[in-house]
Amino acid sequence: MKKNAIIYSFNTKKTSKIAAQIQEAFNSDSIEMVNAEEITEELFLSFDGIIMGVATWFDGELPNFWDEFLPALEEMDLTGKKFALFGLGDQKGYPENFLDGVGIMGEILESQGATLVGFTSTEGYEFESSRALRNDQFMGLAIDYENQSSMNNQRIADWVDQLKIEFA
Amino acid sequence: MSTNKRYSIKKTDKETLAKWLKLMLVGRAIDDRAPNYLKQAIGWSYHAPYAGHDGIQLAIGQVFDREHDHLFPYYRDMLTTHSAGLSAEELILNGISRDTDVAGGGRHMSNHFAKPEWNIHNVSSCTGNHTLHAVGLARAMKKYKVPGVAISSQGESSVSEGYVYEAINGASNEKLPVIFVFQDNGYGISVPKADQTANRKVANNFSGFKNLKIFYCNGKDVFDSMNTMAEAKEYVAEHEHPVIVHANCVRIHSHSNSDRHDLYRDDYELNYVREYDPLAKFRRLLIRYERFTESELEAIESEAKMVVKAAHKVGMNAPQPKPESIHDFVIPEPYLSDRYPEGLHQHKGEPKKLIEGLNETLKAEFRHNPDTFIWGQDVAHKEKGGIFNVTKGMQQEFGKVRVFNGPIAEDYIMGTANGMSRFNDKLRIVVEGAEFADYFWPAMEQFVETSHDYWRSKGQYSPNITVRLASGGYIGGGLYHSQNIESSLTPLPGIRVVYPSYADDAAGLLRTSIRSKGVTLFLEPKALYNSPKVATPIPDDFEVPFGKARLRREGSDLSIITYGNTTPMCVDLADKLMKDSIASVEVLDLRSLSPLDTDAILATVKKTGKVLVVHEDKVFGGFGGEIAALINDMAFEYLDGPVKRVGSTFTPVGFNRILEAAVLPNIERIEKAATELLNY
Repeated sequence: MKKNAIIYSFNTKKTSKIAAQIQEAFNSDSIEMVNAEEITEELFLSFDGIIMGVATWFDGELPNFWDEFLPALEEMDLTGKKFALFGLGDQKGYPENFLDGVGIMGEILESQGATLVGFTSTEGYEFESSRALRNDQFMGLAIDYENQSSMNNQRIADWVDQLKIEFA
Repeated sequence: MSTNKRYSIKKTDKETLAKWLKLMLVGRAIDDRAPNYLKQAIGWSYHAPYAGHDGIQLAIGQVFDREHDHLFPYYRDMLTTHSAGLSAEELILNGISRDTDVAGGGRHMSNHFAKPEWNIHNVSSCTGNHTLHAVGLARAMKKYKVPGVAISSQGESSVSEGYVYEAINGASNEKLPVIFVFQDNGYGISVPKADQTANRKVANNFSGFKNLKIFYCNGKDVFDSMNTMAEAKEYVAEHEHPVIVHANCVRIHSHSNSDRHDLYRDDYELNYVREYDPLAKFRRLLIRYERFTESELEAIESEAKMVVKAAHKVGMNAPQPKPESIHDFVIPEPYLSDRYPEGLHQHKGEPKKLIEGLNETLKAEFRHNPDTFIWGQDVAHKEKGGIFNVTKGMQQEFGKVRVFNGPIAEDYIMGTANGMSRFNDKLRIVVEGAEFADYFWPAMEQFVETSHDYWRSKGQYSPNITVRLASGGYIGGGLYHSQNIESSLTPLPGIRVVYPSYADDAAGLLRTSIRSKGVTLFLEPKALYNSPKVATPIPDDFEVPFGKARLRREGSDLSIITYGNTTPMCVDLADKLMKDSIASVEVLDLRSLSPLDTDAILATVKKTGKVLVVHEDKVFGGFGGEIAALINDMAFEYLDGPVKRVGSTFTPVGFNRILEAAVLPNIERIEKAATELLNY
């Protein structure tokens, strides 16, 4: 049986809330919730499919806990593993770097052989630039708590439906 | 994020990691401790904490090579300079402003770390100002074909300063080896960067510049900063043009000890930036990737504490500067003339016009000294040689490396002169500071900064620059083409101001200016450039010392003290009054305003007992007021009447010739005042 996880920082409020909603939408206890701030290489590699919560910090950077994991990540062989990324951004406050964290992480995962799934449409969003763009799609789920929180539920539900197929 | 992975937590050798950690620990300990010196009234009244900039500051210092490079740090660059070689002791001596502070013996503000002998430059508090100095220095490196880079470091908000644009534009245009580092912590004191410019990353404002590469890095991360700075330096060497390194940092503390960031940052934000403390992150990485054990780190931390403790002791025992030393290093000793100690000659040759005297002296000095350079707006393009052709033929004879145009950016012209002069003390630079003297105002900040470099660095650096400016009116030029500026500039300590009237004096003073160390403001009476009245024979080697006035007419009834455009008017008046047997009038041509020939002024006062001060500039606030005050103070008992003044009205100078004539002094007004005084 495939082993899947949602990895995010337990010290966050909004990201944690989204992670919980994703788990609920999957309606499955088989998805393990893992604290990104305590992740080890061994535990990370033990999963077949990983949903990662990757916020964007400052002007387009990874949160420090992910950044500090990169030296390990950059030496991993992730061939055959599937990753889906979700990120929180503020289209109005930080339109130049909307979801950059997802883009940075996605590029690194791919360079280590991982397969990225869960790309979503940019329709309904307004921003200036994003490193998470690939062929006019986001490389994951974009959540904007500050400006479009009322759309969170539907976006999560649609994304999880998509992942159920792509993660299979 | 740099794609160059030369340095990483896994690959970098342990010795290097330990060295970096110790630098960061010592720096941070002093950064944290600095406010205590103020609380105990020991000093460090200005402290801009660097915590949150640790990665990029370590990296700047580590890539800096003091044999070949030049570093222009800003006031937050404590770790930069420590990483570049300044010891903990040197940081503290600067912080508490002791006489042994290597930046300048406590003359400059605290937290302005420098060590000129290692090419770590003593820079202005005017933020971003030193970008122009870095560009000027890089220009010298390029012209002299030496390896190395000039590294300029600043906060992101100071990029709003106009001269930063000019510096980057100039470096891009001249293809100069400069690394401009922007340390972006999001604030200029309390002003968020959104209030500075539209782009969140201000480096993006320069994305359209040619010959300019922009690097971005996480300035909070040691490895990303090291990789980016190393790559940037190699890029400059390989491509021979400038780069910008935009480093994202956080400011963990307030801007400085006079700021309270809790007035404008909420707890969420303060926690958020503390979360990303670069030093804590570096330490976590060292443990996580098993490069050091806890006990090994504790040993390094203990060593760092000892270093700071020892440096503190040295600092507390270091001498204070002596109050009587304030007069040291105001301006360097000038070139001394053996042949013309009084600036007088008996040469009998063909009279030459003032403009010829300037042109021939410039050429002679450029032949005499190969380390001379001249630039300015309009100074060199084919047959053109300056707006008035003073530099005509110079580029043809001396080439484009030494004689070249500057952009229409007066502070660029002035600021890069300051920077280029820092290359070595053999260089002598002449600039046409502006097309006309009253266009000089945009350069004022750079000029003011240049005026105190020598004093501020306790004599470690002297800008050796002659600033030529075509000054004054009588040409129907109107505003920005006719006004005098000496009353604003002469009060600055650290510069010399000369304003000759005759061709021989212009030549002699120009030679002395170019041969001297220090800054000389050389004001040229442009209305007299081609006037036969001031044409004189000029000895080929003529020299006029600073601070030596010249009697143009001797007399016994009245002294007229004057300079610049009004000197020939006063001479004509003296001749007329003598010819008409009305009075014997002495005319003293000051030639230098600073230093001022006090002896000659007092001598003529004592001789005639009546003094008329005449200059073209406004009477109100004009330099004549200083002369009148001097006489009042030192020769009051010799006066037989009040010291009177003639000059311009307290109005702008009009363009219409009728208006101009109504404003500027003329021989009739001078005669009227002279007659009143003679009859007093």
